[in-house]
Amino acid sequence: MEWAYLVLTLVSVLNFATPLLLAATGELVVEKSGVLNLGVEGMMIVGAMTAYFVGAHIDLEICTVPHFSGVGCLVGTSSIPMERFAIVVLTGGLAGMALSFLFALLVLGFRSNQVATGLGLTLLGLTLTNALGSGSGDLKVGRVDTLLGTQASDWGIWGPLLNMNPMVWLTIILCLTVGWVLTHTRLGLIIRAVGENHDSAHTLGLPVQWVRLGAIVFGGLCAGMAGAYISMIQIGAPLWKEGITAGAGWLALALILFATWRAERVVLGALIFGFTLALELRLQTLAGLPSWFVPWLLPSLPYLIPIIVLTLISLDARVIRRNAPASLGKLFEPIS
Amino acid sequence: MIRLIRRADVTAIHSLISIAVAAVLTLVISTIVLFLTAKAPVDALMQLLTYPYQGGTVIVQWSKALNMAAYLGVIGLGLSICYRANVWNIGAEGQFAMGGIGAFGTWLLLGSPTAWWAIPCLIMGGAFAGLLWASIPALLKTQANTNELLTSLMLVYVAAQTLFFVSNGPWQAPVRYSPSQTVFLPESVQLNAIIPGVPTFHMGLPIALGLFVVIALLVLYTPFGYRLKVTETTPRAARFAGYSPRVTVWAVFLLSGAMAGAMGAIYLMGDIGYVTEESNFLRGFGFSAIVVAFLGRLHPVGILLAALLLGYVAGGASWIQANLREDDSIAGFIEVIALMSTLASALFLQYRVQWRGFATQPQENR
Repeated sequence: MEWAYLVLTLVSVLNFATPLLLAATGELVVEKSGVLNLGVEGMMIVGAMTAYFVGAHIDLEICTVPHFSGVGCLVGTSSIPMERFAIVVLTGGLAGMALSFLFALLVLGFRSNQVATGLGLTLLGLTLTNALGSGSGDLKVGRVDTLLGTQASDWGIWGPLLNMNPMVWLTIILCLTVGWVLTHTRLGLIIRAVGENHDSAHTLGLPVQWVRLGAIVFGGLCAGMAGAYISMIQIGAPLWKEGITAGAGWLALALILFATWRAERVVLGALIFGFTLALELRLQTLAGLPSWFVPWLLPSLPYLIPIIVLTLISLDARVIRRNAPASLGKLFEPIS
Repeated sequence: MIRLIRRADVTAIHSLISIAVAAVLTLVISTIVLFLTAKAPVDALMQLLTYPYQGGTVIVQWSKALNMAAYLGVIGLGLSICYRANVWNIGAEGQFAMGGIGAFGTWLLLGSPTAWWAIPCLIMGGAFAGLLWASIPALLKTQANTNELLTSLMLVYVAAQTLFFVSNGPWQAPVRYSPSQTVFLPESVQLNAIIPGVPTFHMGLPIALGLFVVIALLVLYTPFGYRLKVTETTPRAARFAGYSPRVTVWAVFLLSGAMAGAMGAIYLMGDIGYVTEESNFLRGFGFSAIVVAFLGRLHPVGILLAALLLGYVAGGASWIQANLREDDSIAGFIEVIALMSTLASALFLQYRVQWRGFATQPQENR
């Protein structure tokens, strides 16, 4: 096995792992505060669409023929510089955040069923993007600049790895930082206290609802930014199509369960899930596979392997019970 | 400022109030969305609400709503059984797809018959396939305690990939058909229209209604239904009563999977006639049925009404798209708005809302 091949595989794995990891980091905080938000997929896809449309708008001035709608570019060989890309990602995050506010209003304000509301949020995200995202086919969005640009070849086989979007590294750092904050700081202690037993936390005078609102909104921000990565970076050139997230939000939720709510294991799990997603591209070209493998089993693997992995983790019921936030998904009724 | 007091007794009046709140919220928000998105909002709203009487053949228009309501109602009823037992099956879309595949596979296994007796066999085959597909999360849940919500959903993607595989692989029709589909089922194995000229009002709808009534009676008037009720309201009491949680998980998964699978078979025989790729075969019934289950507050009568409502809205939306060139995604919006309103208005069912003015400190008098 050549080193260059291994490095390219690693690049592919990290590329697929990043959005899962980012969304899972946000959801980790949400679940640690005792709220189960199943709307990750919806927030992600809204973030993906928003980022794409903002991306089309943001390099307008370098455009040679603007799009007739006034948004974006029909002809142009422009690229999006890194600092503008940061704005694009942030707007994606804000879109996810907007959806998470709705979730917070219903769950915290109206005390609605968290599972049903989360599913509804995912449906809302899919509906919104199907309605607003159509007719983007002829938009032209510039590629996002890479760190090294054409100098990547100077680094030999390591070039592709070093040339990856900084979001990849920032996401890993964010996840580990979040893990550290949760376990080593006062803020983390407050979040965990609210998630473990909201009645005790309330009695201690902790603002349960506000802590949860903050966590939900942080989760929305992360999911939206993860969506932005998918539409802007993942396949090399920016792309938007309906249902582009293809279950990544659900994989992020599975990831947290797999990691039993521990940040360093979320990173590990993201690499495993990323590997199964990367596998599809890598194995397609392999010769001598049975005729049902490539069209049927191979594209199903990213969903089958999480099922198997989750099953193995869940076999020992105590592992889940020991680590799950005790108030996860439960209704909080303050005595007042 | 606002204080919520849990109701000790929840009566029919409170239920009606919360439904009324949900209906008003849905109507108001949907109208706002329609006014924001539509080119001719007033026209669109009028035609959406009264679409069967807007120029098309009345019976044809109504039959579209009834057709969709049949699928949503039966699948939604199956899902409601799961949710009442606190089992989160959200993979009905996959079980529906496998029902279609199972029915077609049964037809092939029987040697491609053209006689009428194939129809019940195909429905049974579809139900069995849906049941098998639902047994995977049930098995993992009971044996390994795996989260059924995630596994059932992941299997939707696998089922969609299976649709792609069979319609492009082993069952792909000869070249004279359009690509990536199987051959058509013979005319005699399809569910024919009851009224000539109204293809969406086919024999599958009475079958679906019969299935709905049987399962609704099962939920409302049998020991199994009582078991569900106990499990839903007080899980602790269910344990003391000796109801095995494993048996409950198996029962609700298999039942809901079989129902979704049977509807997949009916859809295959009544509406489409062949198996094809996900994007052409699946219309999101399995996901809309989740909404239907919650809109109906997990009660069979409510589910029936909710299914009719969403079927009607979808019919109206496709009418204004065809007639007024409006975007039919309004149907999806109304669906989600209705769901969110219903979830939010459950507050008024469970709690008394007390306005305590601006300045009071609620801690003082408990």
